[in-house]
Amino acid sequence: MAKKGRHSYRGLRQYITIILFVAAAIPMAVTGGSIYYEYRASIREKVTTQLEGIVIFHKESIERFLEEITAAMMVTTQLKPFDKTVQSDVLQEVFNSLQRQYKHAFGDIGVIDSKATHLAYIGAYDLLGKNYSDAPWFKEVMEKRVFVSDVFLGFRRLPHLIVAVRQGDGKNSWILRATVDAARFGSVVENVRLGHTGQAFIVNKEGYYQTRPRTGGYVMEKSEPGDLELKPFDGVNFWEVQGKKGQKVLRAKTWMKDNNWLLVVQQDVDEAFAELYTTRNAAILMFILGGILVAVVTFFTTRLLVRKIERADEEKSVLDEQLIQSQKLASVGKLSAGIAHEINNPLAIIGEEAGWMQDLLKRDSLKGLREMDDFKDSLREIAQQAGRCKEITHKLLSFARKMKSVIKDVNINELVEDVIGMVGRDAALSNIKIVREYNAHLPLMYSDPSQLRQVFLNVINNARDAIEGGGEIKIETGIGEGDTISIKISDTGPGIPKANMGKIFDPFYTTKPPGKGTGLGLSICHGIIEKLGGDISVASDVGKGTTFTINLPLELKRGGI
Amino acid sequence: MPKPRILIVDDEERFVKTLTKRLTERGLDVFGVYSGRGAIEEVRNNPYDVVILDVRMPGLDGIETLRELKKIDPGIEVLMLTGHASVDSAVEGMRLGAHEYLMKPCDIEELMEKIDAAYELKQTRDDRIRQAEARRIVDRSPG
Repeated sequence: MAKKGRHSYRGLRQYITIILFVAAAIPMAVTGGSIYYEYRASIREKVTTQLEGIVIFHKESIERFLEEITAAMMVTTQLKPFDKTVQSDVLQEVFNSLQRQYKHAFGDIGVIDSKATHLAYIGAYDLLGKNYSDAPWFKEVMEKRVFVSDVFLGFRRLPHLIVAVRQGDGKNSWILRATVDAARFGSVVENVRLGHTGQAFIVNKEGYYQTRPRTGGYVMEKSEPGDLELKPFDGVNFWEVQGKKGQKVLRAKTWMKDNNWLLVVQQDVDEAFAELYTTRNAAILMFILGGILVAVVTFFTTRLLVRKIERADEEKSVLDEQLIQSQKLASVGKLSAGIAHEINNPLAIIGEEAGWMQDLLKRDSLKGLREMDDFKDSLREIAQQAGRCKEITHKLLSFARKMKSVIKDVNINELVEDVIGMVGRDAALSNIKIVREYNAHLPLMYSDPSQLRQVFLNVINNARDAIEGGGEIKIETGIGEGDTISIKISDTGPGIPKANMGKIFDPFYTTKPPGKGTGLGLSICHGIIEKLGGDISVASDVGKGTTFTINLPLELKRGGI
Repeated sequence: MPKPRILIVDDEERFVKTLTKRLTERGLDVFGVYSGRGAIEEVRNNPYDVVILDVRMPGLDGIETLRELKKIDPGIEVLMLTGHASVDSAVEGMRLGAHEYLMKPCDIEELMEKIDAAYELKQTRDDRIRQAEARRIVDRSPG
């Protein structure tokens, strides 16, 4: 018996709700998540591409700037021979034209011979005659023709860098040397504008700033150790690091100037990905709203579903009850048939013995026996009780018997009318009115009329016996659900208490006094109706009456009997 | 009217004995046996008018016994005694030539009536047979 309590339905409801919700939420989460990740990847790509672009652009413009300066100086040395250039007025002119060309980026300019002696100088410092033979830039320019230094302070205590070009070879070589103001040079780099937090700067391979980072620090200051990786690499690389304020910073770096300078472009991650974050927040909001919607829909769907299940369970439990009932009846039937059979013979013997004794008492030899009347009375009683037993065993046997039924067309209304004819007179005597409500358009049925007669007779008799001191029996015929004919037999008797409802089809259950009823009638009816492929059910209001409803299929299922 | 000769066949010994006494008391010539085999044996050796035959018996059952009895003596009348569940076989028995069936336990008066009816039937039939035979003899006689 699957009698589910309220709590188990609640459990079921929770279970289904969770399952449904998860089933709905997982695809949503997966879709949302994967879209988000795709989007994030594309935003990342966009950000890194942007940074990379800036890095490359800057690298190129710095290199171009330095190249242009060196090229311009190179051209100068080619156009103006050494003997000309050492003349201070000529050098001044050269200096002026370079300044014009390069927005006053130059600090000073000088000519140096192959012995590293400053021969001519235009600038703010007194450097004439100074010998640079030990200076690393001198060695390098003698070797490579062109030299661009790192930024350094030198003895003038201002960050600058040296650009030197050599003309001629060996003893005839001479050098044009200029200093570029670091601030001027830096402006090329420092003017990177990339949101609020974007900036670019250069460090040399020892980690000294060559230009001023916007977020603090000065040229020629050493960057914080460990802040920048200073291993040379090719192309552009990215890092994500912890910034000074604890924020995340995305850095793009590339080496330039023969791996001497490292160009860094950086931006706070939060700013770089701001677009992504707003999208993400929108997505989360959508997800939450969607989740709430899903939850609501799930909740109502589940409620509906569980209610359906509950209803199905109820129906099933009714069916189960009927099934158990019919199984019980079948097994009880078999059992009682067996028993009845066994009892039959001893019963026959008892009957015969009593009969024999009655025969004996009729003999002349026993006439005048004083206890004759008592004997006769007792024997009559024995015979009568044996008869009573016989009735029971025969009913039981008919209950389990394989009946050869005669199946033919049956007009239910006529058949019911026949049965009423059998009990009608009795009913009238007990002041019972019989009300007929026949549906005149009932189709003919294909069933076993004699067994049906037995059923109706039994149920109508019960109704008659239930009514005391007058009342009404109503018999209603009509079309039932799904190709069935339904017959309702109601009485205005005292009704059946709920406690007994489950027992009324049980064999031997009777409310009649001993000897008046065997308690087999309804169970036999039940058996017959089952065999005919129908069902019989009962509804009762205590104090108002009882209604038996019999549904019968129009077409008997072959092999059902 | 001569006494009808009755044979009771039932595996319940006591039933046979008591019924024998009761029917004898009512002026019948009764003999009882306790199995189908015994019945066949008895009918083979002695003439009987009516056999009261139980349907359900161990060994040879009522129907089989009936078949054999009818082979031996087609004119013999048989009353089948049956429990309710074997009504079908009792009906089958009637198809095979049993005169009638009764429900066990049966009422003695009812049984007597049935025996009388069966015996009467047998009597009239036997009379007709005798008359027919007499006619045949008369027809054949030269005259």
